[in-house]
Parts: sequence; C-alpha cells; structure tokens
Amino acid sequence: MKKTTLEKIVEKGLSFLSKIFPLKSYLHFPLLSTAIFWGIRRATEWKKEILFWQVYLDPKRIEVKPPEFVLNFFKNHSSLSQVYEAEIKSNDKETLREAFNRLYPILGLEDPFLSALFYEELESKDFRKIVKEFEEKASRAQKDIEAFEGKSRLLEGLKTVAEEAASLSVELMSKDEVQEVVANTINKWKNEGN
Amino acid sequence: MNEEVNKNLISRETIASFRIIPKISFIILFLLFWLFSLPACVSHLKDAKLFYSQGQKFSRLYQTEKAIASFKRALIEAELETEKHPSAQAFMLKGMAELNLELWEEAEESFLSAFSYGFEKGEEWAREISLLGLASSLDELQLEDPALKIYASVLDKSKLKQVSVFAAQKYTDAMLKRTLLKEGKEKQKLLIATLKTVEKLTTKDLSCGFYHYLQSQVYSHLEDHKKSFEEAVMARELGLPKEDIFRDNDLQIVFCYQSLKEKLPVEEWEEFRSRYMAWVKRWNWRDNETPAWKKEVRNAADN
Repeated sequence: MKKTTLEKIVEKGLSFLSKIFPLKSYLHFPLLSTAIFWGIRRATEWKKEILFWQVYLDPKRIEVKPPEFVLNFFKNHSSLSQVYEAEIKSNDKETLREAFNRLYPILGLEDPFLSALFYEELESKDFRKIVKEFEEKASRAQKDIEAFEGKSRLLEGLKTVAEEAASLSVELMSKDEVQEVVANTINKWKNEGN
Repeated sequence: MNEEVNKNLISRETIASFRIIPKISFIILFLLFWLFSLPACVSHLKDAKLFYSQGQKFSRLYQTEKAIASFKRALIEAELETEKHPSAQAFMLKGMAELNLELWEEAEESFLSAFSYGFEKGEEWAREISLLGLASSLDELQLEDPALKIYASVLDKSKLKQVSVFAAQKYTDAMLKRTLLKEGKEKQKLLIATLKTVEKLTTKDLSCGFYHYLQSQVYSHLEDHKKSFEEAVMARELGLPKEDIFRDNDLQIVFCYQSLKEKLPVEEWEEFRSRYMAWVKRWNWRDNETPAWKKEVRNAADN
C-alpha cells in the first residue's frame, strides 16, 4: 500500500528519534504525536507545547476543583462512569478525587503529550492503570527529556517534524486521528524490523 | 645663514604639522565613535521601551507566547542600557520586564537599583516582590498559614498587577484547599471570605479575565452555578492567560450547564438554555457540551 505524506513524516521522525533515544522507545510515540499535533495547528511556540505540557493545569489547582465537579466528570463520561460505577454509587470521594487528579488533564483538558504517553491504556480504557502509573510514568518521561544532553538537537528534529506536518493541509485532523496515524506507522515500522 | 635657518624652520614646522595629524585624526575618530555610539545607546532604551510596550499589548490580547518573547527582548535591551548608562528609568524598565517574566528576585534587585538612582516607588515595589518571594518559600516549606497571610496582605496593597495576579492565584488555591477540609457552616464562612476577597479584585480591575475565572471557581464551590457560569463567560470573553486555564474555564461552563439542567425549574431552564445556546453559537462550539478545542469524537460521544 502506498504511504501517505503524513506516514512518511512519521517515519522520518521515528528514524530520528530512534537515534536520539535508542533505549527509550516509549518516548517516541508521545513526542512524535505531540509535535505533529501542534505542527498541524501551526502552534508558534511548539517547543513550549511539547516540553512544558502547557495544557496540563497546575496540579495544585486541579486538587481544589469542587467535589461536585469531580463527581460530574465521572458521571458524564460513559466509559469512566462504567469503570468507576462502584465508587460513584458509594460516593467514595477519596478514590474519585485521586483518580480525577490524574485523569482530568488527559480526558478533560486533553493534554496531547499525556494522552499519547497513556495511549495504550486509553485505547483499552484501562483508566485505573493510568491512575496507578501516572506519577511514575509522567515524571520519568519529564526527567528523561530534561536530562537529555542534546536537547537542542532533539528540538531541531521535532521542529522539522512539526514544520513538515504544518505544511500538510490537514488542519481538521483531530488528536485521535493524528495518534492513530502515528501509532499505525510505528507498528508498521517495528514490524519491518527497524 | 638666514636662508639655512629659514629652511630649518620650514622643515621643523612641516614636521610639527605632521605630528599634529595623528592627534587630529584621533580626535576625529573619537568624535565619530561618540557620534555613532550615541544613537546606539539611545536605541537600547528606546528599544527596551518599544519591546516592553509590545509585550503589554500582547498581554492585553492574551497572546502569552508573543508577550513573553517581547518582554525577553525588552529585558535584553534594558540590561544593555543599565550596563552602559545606568539610570532610574533603565533599571525600572529592566525590573518591569523581569516582573512580567516572573523573575521575582531579579526584579526586586532592579527596583532597588532604580530606587538608588532616584525612582521613589522602587523601594516599595521591591518590598512587595520580596514579600511574595517569602510567601512562596514558606508555601514550599508547607508553612501555609504565614504564607496565606502574606498573600492576602500583598493582594490587598499591591499596585503591581503581576504581583496581584500571582498572589490572587495562590491565595484562592490555598483558601479553597482549606474549605475542602471543612464542613457545614465553617466551610461556608471560609468560602464567603474567599469570595469577598476575589470580588474586591474584580471590582478593582473589571477587565482582568483571570479574576473572573477565580470568582467562577469560588461560586462553583458555593454551588451557585448560575453565578459561576456568568463569571466563567466573563472570563472567556475577557481572555485568559494560558491554554490550560482557558480549557478548564470552558469545562466549568459545561459543568454549570449540566448542573443547571438538573436543578432549574422548567421555565427558568428554558430561558437559561436559550441564552446558553446563543453563547455556544458565538463560540463556535461543536455542540452544547463540546467546546471547539475538544476534538475527541470519543469524548463527545461519551458526553
């Protein structure tokens, strides 16, 4: 099957990231899909979007959202309301609040980096796994990116990906669609033995 | 003999005139250098002012990234000016740029320097920033009570908007955190006190979207969803400083809509709904519960 331009961009990005982060392949997907997502939206400060997770509200403010808002968040999301049905029924505020603090940035504010970082869990609707692993996985990703010495090289590479994505006329592509293309290309790329 | 003397004289004069040339050329060069460097010096201050006012313009339009870039450029120019021609104005500009970039310690130093060069308010501004820095440190050390007192005091007295906004954010978060630990009357009392403080800020600066956002959050805790909705709409219309806050505010609007749908009597609900739909249309939302930025088909379907 003929590859689309977006798939070619993803492949180029993958080949670049596998040189930069050869042992941290878990970062390839979130970094690429975020770069492409913001690139398509022609974000001027894409560096900030990628590395500072701009959509991730100050955790201190998430912690003080009203209890009613927290409950409404779970009730009005069909998948969440199923998974947390018991807690909603028993009004287990503590568990719901803990889960909310982790899930609101991803399912509510739709932070593209975090959504990609937990892509598999989101696909399988394993929200409890996200809650359990959020702290460890998110802080590990942040530390790995921050500790990377060739940050300017990484940013240059991602900038190319974002710019190439920006040149495509796919403004209306949603985050889900972007992630799907990136995920499929990564899988194909792996299957081809890369 | 006389001719010989004259010859010598001529030659001495000639030689002397040649000796003057390097001195003249040095003076000319110096004058030229001074002449050319003068506009450069003037331009540092001028550029700093230009970039700073650009930053303010972008800030007013809530174009955060552009505003930050302008304030950074203003800071570079102001720094060059303070190195070459230190003055109260140069340090004041430097401090203002640093303040907008949330470089609190640097801003405090700059305002103190501005004071030493004759800018009277410099000392007072530096004191406000120093207090804010102290409150932040206390907060980090989990000494929340004294931190809260300082935030409240700064909030009440500060004439610097950046300081007020930062203190307002910290004060509201801390107060709401406390209310979550209380029940009944005690909770209500705390919430009303918080609301009064935030209301004062909104009255002081009606055009600040962020203050309306904070007010909307407090109303939400008080379960007054109508007022929370109104404040969130005001915040959205006036603009919010960051994407995360903007999205949170949108979700607050949706939450108010869903809550009012359950709680309002039919007639009142219909009236509210028609007003709400007019806003949804104006904002180009995908539907009454899906803001334009929410591209998730999965979530939209879920909602």
